[in-house]
Amino acid sequence: MTAAPPDLAVTQRDALAELLLSVADDEFVIGFWDSEWTGIAPMLEEDVATSSIAQDEIGHARALYELLADLTDDDADRIAYGRGADAFRHASLLNHARGDWAFSVARRYLYETADAVRLEALARSSHAPLAALAAKMRREETYHLMHAEAWLRRLADAGGDSRQRLADAVRRLWPDAQDLFAPLATADEAVGRGILPSDLAELHRAWQERVRPALEPIAGPLPDAEPRADGRTRRTDDFRWLHGEFTSVARSQEGATW
Amino acid sequence: MSTSPAEQVYEVFRQEAEGDPMVHSGNVNAPDDELAVHYAREFYGRRGESHRLWIVRRDAITELDDADLLRPPFDRSHKRPGGYIIKHKLEAAKQRAAGEAGE
Repeated sequence: MTAAPPDLAVTQRDALAELLLSVADDEFVIGFWDSEWTGIAPMLEEDVATSSIAQDEIGHARALYELLADLTDDDADRIAYGRGADAFRHASLLNHARGDWAFSVARRYLYETADAVRLEALARSSHAPLAALAAKMRREETYHLMHAEAWLRRLADAGGDSRQRLADAVRRLWPDAQDLFAPLATADEAVGRGILPSDLAELHRAWQERVRPALEPIAGPLPDAEPRADGRTRRTDDFRWLHGEFTSVARSQEGATW
Repeated sequence: MSTSPAEQVYEVFRQEAEGDPMVHSGNVNAPDDELAVHYAREFYGRRGESHRLWIVRRDAITELDDADLLRPPFDRSHKRPGGYIIKHKLEAAKQRAAGEAGE
C-alpha cells in the first residue's frame, strides 16, 4: 500500500482515518457474523458460497486497515484484534447476532446495497489509494450483491414461512440499517476535501430510493427513518460476544508474531 | 448433504484460457440457474483458475450410451484410418511439390 503523502494536513488525515475505520469495521464485523454460517448453511454449495463471501469481506477489511495503519503509523492486526469492543465503529446494523437464514439474508441485502452506494462514491475519492481500493472492492461486491439479491427474491417468492421471516427481519433491521450512513465527526472535512465525494445524507437518500421499491412489496410500507448520531457507537451484548470470539486467538498469545 | 426435491444437478465445464477446450470439471447442486452460477463460481473459479465456465442443467443434456449404437456388433474397422501408410504418400507429395516449385 502507498503511504499517505507527507503533506496531508492533520485535519485531513483525521477525516480519512475516521472514514476508513468506519468502512473497515463494517466489513470486518459482517464478515465475522456471516462466517458463523460455515458448516451449517442450508446446503453444502451455499455453505461454501457464504463462507467465501464472508472471507472476501474480511479481506476487504484487511486492505482498509492496512491503508489506515499506513496513515496513522499503526499495525493492521493491532487495529483489527487489539481494540476493545467499544472502540469499534461499525454501524448498529452489525450489532445483531447471526439469527436465522432469513435474518442473515435480510441483513446482507441491506448491507450490500448500502455498500454498493458507498463504494460508488469512494471510487471517486480524491485520496488516490482509497479510490483505487474502492474500485477493486467493487468488482467483488457486485457479485456479493447479486448473491444477496438472489436469496432475497428466493425467500420472498417462496411465500409462507420463508417470506414471513424475511419480512419480519427487514422490519426489525430497518432502523439500524440507516446507521450505515450515520454522521462522522469529521465528515465535513472529508466531503470538503473530496475524500468522500458525496455527503452521507446524499448517499443515504440514494440508498433508500434503491431499496424501498425492492423491500416494501415484501415487508410492507417502511417508516421514515434517518441515521442516528450514535449509529456507529452503539454496542450490544451480541457484539461483545463476537468480539470475544474473534479476538480470542490474538489474546491467547499477546504480542506474538504469527 | 442430500439433494432436496427442489435442487437440481448442474454439470460444470471449465476453460482455463481463451481458446482452450471446455473440460468437464464436476457438478454442483443448486435450486435454480442463478444460484448454480454462484456455486459453480465458488467451486470451479474462486482461485482464479478459470477463464470461462459453462453451467448446464444435467437434464438438459441429451445422453447417448446405447452400446448397440456406440459399439456396434458388426465389423467397423473400415471406419478407422488404420491401414493407410500415409508416410509414403506424404513423401511423394513433398517431392512433387518441390519439383513444381523448381520448374
